[in-house]
Amino acid sequence: MTAVQERAAAAASAPPAVRRRRFKKPTVGAVIVYVAATALAILWLLPLLWALSTSLKAETEASLGQDIHWWPRDWSIEGYRILLERGDHLTWMLNSTIVSTIVTVLTLVLCTLAAYGFSRFDFPAKNIIFGAIIAGLMVPAQALIIPLFDLVNALHMGGTYWGLALPQVVAPVMVFILKRFFDAIPRDYEEAAKLDGAGHLRILWNVILPVSGPIMAAVGIFTFIGSWNNFLWPMLIATDPSMMTLPVGLQAVAGGYGLFYAQTMASAVIGAAPLLIIFLIFQKRIVEGVAGVGLK
Amino acid sequence: MRNHPSPPGSISRRALLTGTAAAAGVGLAGCGSITGGLSGRTRVKQWNLLAGGDGAIMTEMHGDFSAEHPDVELQATTFGWGTPFYTRLVMGASSGNASDIATIHLSRLKSLSPGTLMDPIGVDELKDHGLNPEDFPEKIWEKAFADDELYAIPLDTHALVNYYNKDVCGQVGALNPDGTLLVTDGVEEYFDLLRAVKEVTGEFGTSLDTFGGWRQFWAWYRQQDGEMTFADGDYEMDDDKALAAIEIMYKMAEEGLCPTFADGGQCSANFETGAAGLVQVGNWEINRFKLFNPDNPEWFSMTEMPSFYNGNRYTQGDCHSFVLPRHNSWDPDVREAALEYAAYMLQHSFRWGEGGGHTPAYLPVTESAEYQALQPNAEYSGVVQNVQFDPDAWFSGSAARLFDETGSIFNQVYALAMTPEDALALMKERIETLLALPSPVD
Amino acid sequence: MTVKTEAPPVPAAMTRPPQANAKKTSWTGLWFVLPFAAFYALFLVYPTFLGLYYSFTDKSLTGRAASWIGLENWAEAFGDERAWAALKNTAVFTLWSTPILVILAIVFALLVHRARKMGWFLRMAFFAPFVVPVSVVTMVWTWIYQPDGGLLNHYLQLFGIQDASTPQIWLQGENGIAMWSVVITTVWWTLGFNFLLYLAALQTIDPNVYEASSIDGANWWQQLRSITLPLLNRTTAMVITLQLIASLRIFDQMYIMTGGGPNRETEVAIHYIYIAGFEGFRIGYASALSYVLFVLILVVSVFQFRLFSRKED
Repeated sequence: MTAVQERAAAAASAPPAVRRRRFKKPTVGAVIVYVAATALAILWLLPLLWALSTSLKAETEASLGQDIHWWPRDWSIEGYRILLERGDHLTWMLNSTIVSTIVTVLTLVLCTLAAYGFSRFDFPAKNIIFGAIIAGLMVPAQALIIPLFDLVNALHMGGTYWGLALPQVVAPVMVFILKRFFDAIPRDYEEAAKLDGAGHLRILWNVILPVSGPIMAAVGIFTFIGSWNNFLWPMLIATDPSMMTLPVGLQAVAGGYGLFYAQTMASAVIGAAPLLIIFLIFQKRIVEGVAGVGLK
Repeated sequence: MRNHPSPPGSISRRALLTGTAAAAGVGLAGCGSITGGLSGRTRVKQWNLLAGGDGAIMTEMHGDFSAEHPDVELQATTFGWGTPFYTRLVMGASSGNASDIATIHLSRLKSLSPGTLMDPIGVDELKDHGLNPEDFPEKIWEKAFADDELYAIPLDTHALVNYYNKDVCGQVGALNPDGTLLVTDGVEEYFDLLRAVKEVTGEFGTSLDTFGGWRQFWAWYRQQDGEMTFADGDYEMDDDKALAAIEIMYKMAEEGLCPTFADGGQCSANFETGAAGLVQVGNWEINRFKLFNPDNPEWFSMTEMPSFYNGNRYTQGDCHSFVLPRHNSWDPDVREAALEYAAYMLQHSFRWGEGGGHTPAYLPVTESAEYQALQPNAEYSGVVQNVQFDPDAWFSGSAARLFDETGSIFNQVYALAMTPEDALALMKERIETLLALPSPVD
Repeated sequence: MTVKTEAPPVPAAMTRPPQANAKKTSWTGLWFVLPFAAFYALFLVYPTFLGLYYSFTDKSLTGRAASWIGLENWAEAFGDERAWAALKNTAVFTLWSTPILVILAIVFALLVHRARKMGWFLRMAFFAPFVVPVSVVTMVWTWIYQPDGGLLNHYLQLFGIQDASTPQIWLQGENGIAMWSVVITTVWWTLGFNFLLYLAALQTIDPNVYEASSIDGANWWQQLRSITLPLLNRTTAMVITLQLIASLRIFDQMYIMTGGGPNRETEVAIHYIYIAGFEGFRIGYASALSYVLFVLILVVSVFQFRLFSRKED
């Protein structure tokens, strides 16, 4: 279980947000609040802006010992050009996309099925299995890296997408969250569907999933972010650069640009871009996911 | 879920072949279509740790190799120097997912458990590629063996050397009439030189890598003829000599003759920007310094380490070598191509010496008149005789634990955060801890 | 539609009577659960026991034959000063970072809650770092922390806080400086999440409560202390437990930025396990170390679990 999944669990149990609109005249206090908030927000964005600024300078202008200035004097996209020409970053981005997609799809499918099974059926050993899975909430994946590394290699999945992705799919917390959600869906709809002769999978697909959109989105988004940004496991398992994910490749492959700061920062910007763009597009959905609106 | 599809790995390789080849810095950028790479070429994956100025030379040589071997597709990757590289190599080899060929430091061969993690190389195989045992210095050739099997193909000898800024050293009268650096004898004489240089630069006398303190320590300790041996859970070290070596670091930093904090990049930058008139660093920075001033690549020269004790100009050094990480099964074509690559690199190592500053291990190159005449390489050619390899133990060697752990202590000494006495005590403590560990490679 | 979720703790789940009329014991449900259970058994249950087994052997990463050595690894682990130091460093990181991550998150949330008209921009600014991969975060901050010519020292010197001739060394700084540098980076990176949790909690507070107390003459500070903060207690408890667990598993930032330096001041538990197992090849010993950490995290997790499964009414 990744830290992000932990957080998703927390998010899911957070109280739902209530929005209200109030119209008031600005007071002195309000002005102070706005100024302080704006100042902090800008301060918070500075590191990313500094990376962007450095990446757009010529190498000689960016290097240590030069004076610090924010606006590049000599605009240059040389760093980006070199990196994109080398192509590493595109490989890693594609790998990250493949791995995170496998993880997200499998997590959604497996956890939904399991949660539905626990929520709607009684079967032999149910309580034992559920208890065992809930106990898994407390097992830290990071403390398992040693045996997992060995296991994955023994399964000949070392250095493959499956080796990267499959161990990340085990997310008991997601089963837990989804089961709680399914438990709360009234059964009347299902009864109606059953009378129409629908099977269990059809009921899940036609009745349960349509009302589960927000929570599925929340689980999916957090699984995706968590997997995309996972560092330790891919670092262990993707030894060859052609199989590295973005966070690992950025860190592990020296590529001779250690001393070229504009290029290094270009690399950082490229590395940050995919999820930042996704975040900006789906901002509302993601923020609501965190805020637990998914449970509403 | 039920039936495992074949690993998607194959898809990406196909799609991204061109990308990764270029990625590897082979210089193939932009040529060929997306699928062009698959046209029956033999792919050889090479991993190296040459992130410095010599890495650029290796990349250049890879370009030449690729041009002359259109049937071989060479994918080279540079990982962070030292532990990150070795950890990756071992983890890859333990699962059979390492590269086909890799560069290592010869001093690390035994610590890589060659018996289980490397594949032995047949001497006959080498002969087939034109490499003969008598083409290598005997001392180095012997180090390439473990348990009577050949595991490594030595590429070079490299060592700490002393670079000097000709202009600055000229200003303080430290040059001979022929423009070479005056030979000093003893610590004080050299410190006097540094003081004079500091006057000119206004900042430091010499620069050095405060993160790589083991190298300087070992050079200065060996110059006193200090011995260090490890056997049966015990070790021998001359405390007085060790303390003397550490005191040099402290005093040099205390007086501002060298930086208190400089990583590899900063260390060399100090020399380039003129903050320091000399720099004690590996010969591999030669290319970087030449490129710094392309209009006048002879703004600096290099010589052997100054003698601090007994007239010894001993220096710390090692050998880059090629090894073949263990494969679950070898494609004969790949193995053939990997060895062909190694042979090519050795036979063309004149460029490696000229550009990378390393002294080629391949004697037909080193003994050639062309190489002998090479400047400034000739000026420090004595390092091959004076090079001191690290002590023999599973935790010793370039970027091994002794190197790393003592290095972090010496880093504190340069930063003046630890006295030489405390540093020595801590160093001994670390050595004792290392000795107490069961060897993981026996 | 607000859902009243039932989240029974484990024992309750085990003894819970079959629910209502809809359910009959059959094998059908098992088929739904089986795929996940199979993954779970393979990638979580099995490695847990495999690790335990390894901890009694001298298994090496080099692949040479391993032999059973009984409790040797365990005895060594409990006497290993470096392991205890790593745990101590982990605790130090937790103690330094958690209060900041809680207090700053509350401050940011309060500000944004008031400054609603800029809500979109502010949320974006504070949360954006959270989606940035750790390698990028560390690249950017390492560049900012450069002693000579880095952004941070530049401004400290500009404002006269630092003497230009003695630039501060951050990432290898003695006496906690390195740890603080990592803490600052981590706060910047992960604060956004806590901030959003608090913001959501704030938005559930009924504004009428404030209006009533304003009429009673309560000022801003009194309202904060007597109304707002108590209502945020539950969120705070959650944030703190999450933070504890995340901190016990900290690895990435230290591994990349400081390498555990200076002089192992920032070497944390997972990093030492990595060093022992992968850099030092000692799979058996690293497994024993993992179990020590495992037990510690378990204790905190049990605490967390109790919190999660508390009834929400």
